[in-house]
Amino acid sequence: MKIDCSGLACPEPVLQTKKALETLPNDSVLEVVVNSMASKENVMRFAQNGGFDVRAQDLDEGKTLITIVKGFTCKTVVDAKDEPFLDKTLFLKSDKVGEGELGAKLIVGFLKSTLELPKLPHRIVCVNQAVLLTTADESAPIMEVLKALEAKGVEIYSCGVCLEFFGVTDKLKVGKIGNAFGTIEMLFGGEGTISL
Amino acid sequence: MNNEAKLTKYVKAAGCAAKLGPGDLTEAIGGLSCTHENVLVGMDTSDDASVYYLDEERALVQTVDIITPVVDDPYVYGQIAAANSLSDVFAMGGEVATAMNIVGFDGCHQPRSVLKEILAGGQSKVQECGGIIIGGHTIEAPEMTYGMSVTGFVHPQKIYRNNTPRIGDVLILTKPLGMGILTTAIKADMLENSVVEKVASILATLNHKASQIMRKYDVSACTDVTGFGLLGHAYEMSFNRVTIAFEMKNIPILEEARALADMGIIPAGAYNNKSYLSAKVEAKVPHKDEIILYDAQTSGGLLMAVSQKDAPKLLQNLKDEGLGYSAIIAEILPLGNKPLLYM
Repeated sequence: MKIDCSGLACPEPVLQTKKALETLPNDSVLEVVVNSMASKENVMRFAQNGGFDVRAQDLDEGKTLITIVKGFTCKTVVDAKDEPFLDKTLFLKSDKVGEGELGAKLIVGFLKSTLELPKLPHRIVCVNQAVLLTTADESAPIMEVLKALEAKGVEIYSCGVCLEFFGVTDKLKVGKIGNAFGTIEMLFGGEGTISL
Repeated sequence: MNNEAKLTKYVKAAGCAAKLGPGDLTEAIGGLSCTHENVLVGMDTSDDASVYYLDEERALVQTVDIITPVVDDPYVYGQIAAANSLSDVFAMGGEVATAMNIVGFDGCHQPRSVLKEILAGGQSKVQECGGIIIGGHTIEAPEMTYGMSVTGFVHPQKIYRNNTPRIGDVLILTKPLGMGILTTAIKADMLENSVVEKVASILATLNHKASQIMRKYDVSACTDVTGFGLLGHAYEMSFNRVTIAFEMKNIPILEEARALADMGIIPAGAYNNKSYLSAKVEAKVPHKDEIILYDAQTSGGLLMAVSQKDAPKLLQNLKDEGLGYSAIIAEILPLGNKPLLYM
């Protein structure tokens, strides 16, 4: 993403940079063009103090290109409203969305699309047949998606009783084993629950 | 506060952050001179007020200052602009007699009622220090400006100049720094109302009381800290003849300004001041708050050079009278590598 803050007076370049960084997902790059020394210093100050990796490159006509990398290390920036997560729990009761072969495809597609959101749900809770997702074969397409979500910080819990019921406790490949109390707390304690 | 008028939204820069840089100004007025036997303080020093000799007991102090809005409430803006305009008389050790309003009124964005409130705010501050408003002048302007031409009196033998500190004196500052940063944040709607009120109350505080207290002690020089920032005004005070050594940890800075500075909410005026002064300043250790020392202040505090013997008493007196941000922040040393030094 690239924004042009040329000709804008303080604090506009910083505010636009802040806004742009908030909308971008992790591991993306923001380029900011400024054309005054004050804007350059201010935007770099904002980015550096936020823990972002930042570089400046002088261009022609007094312009400067500031490159800001939004990566994992930027957690220090954030106060509550800049949190990369939504205070929401995704509650999965099945390894499908709906029935049959289509249902199995849909759940993979849904979670894969979730990955692209600017803000991810904070937690995924799997109960009943949904634990078959977290215990699937390494080669299953769902595994790649769940691992990517976990790598971005999403907490994934699989119901312990359910794992045992299906006899797959020792096959858990992603996330942690959850318990009834924790599950209830997540469902009622957070801002919202989305059930598939 | 009544912020509906959104005064700050229709100006490019807030308050003294809108001031012309010191370099530009020196270039423009450097060739002017005003030597006359009755002119006790004129344009040859960087004092903001002039002093004209009347008789053995009295000299006339004249000054003028205008600023763009720093808060959205018209009445409070009027108070702050007045406090800012009156300040130069107090820095000289004078008392205010009369004032005339100078208004550039943005009639495109504001109703006439706003003008009335601004003037009422201004009047409240002139009355507070015993002065009277005797007139004024208003023009339509694309950006709102308000201030006053102020006339006061001072004893010809008791004028406080800005460039006569003695080696061994210490400097007391009576208001915290960060006002240019904070007013920029107000303009961007980034501050909670409680912080805006805190900032406005500091800005609207007259330097009258501080000036009256100062006159009881052994003070050798005084200036008020405004558009050129602490270091800009301190540089004028040094007159390239002494080194002023600042102790960073003692300089009063509003916490909220620190946080905003870390975010990069710093008006261009601060960088202009810094680039003008860069060759005059030596840093023992670079400090992250350094830029705040260059922040353009609106209606800033008095910066007084006082003997070490009197400094603790003067400081206590200021604090007892409600000027709680007052602090001893620097010492006047013989001229070293640079006229300004911070550690």
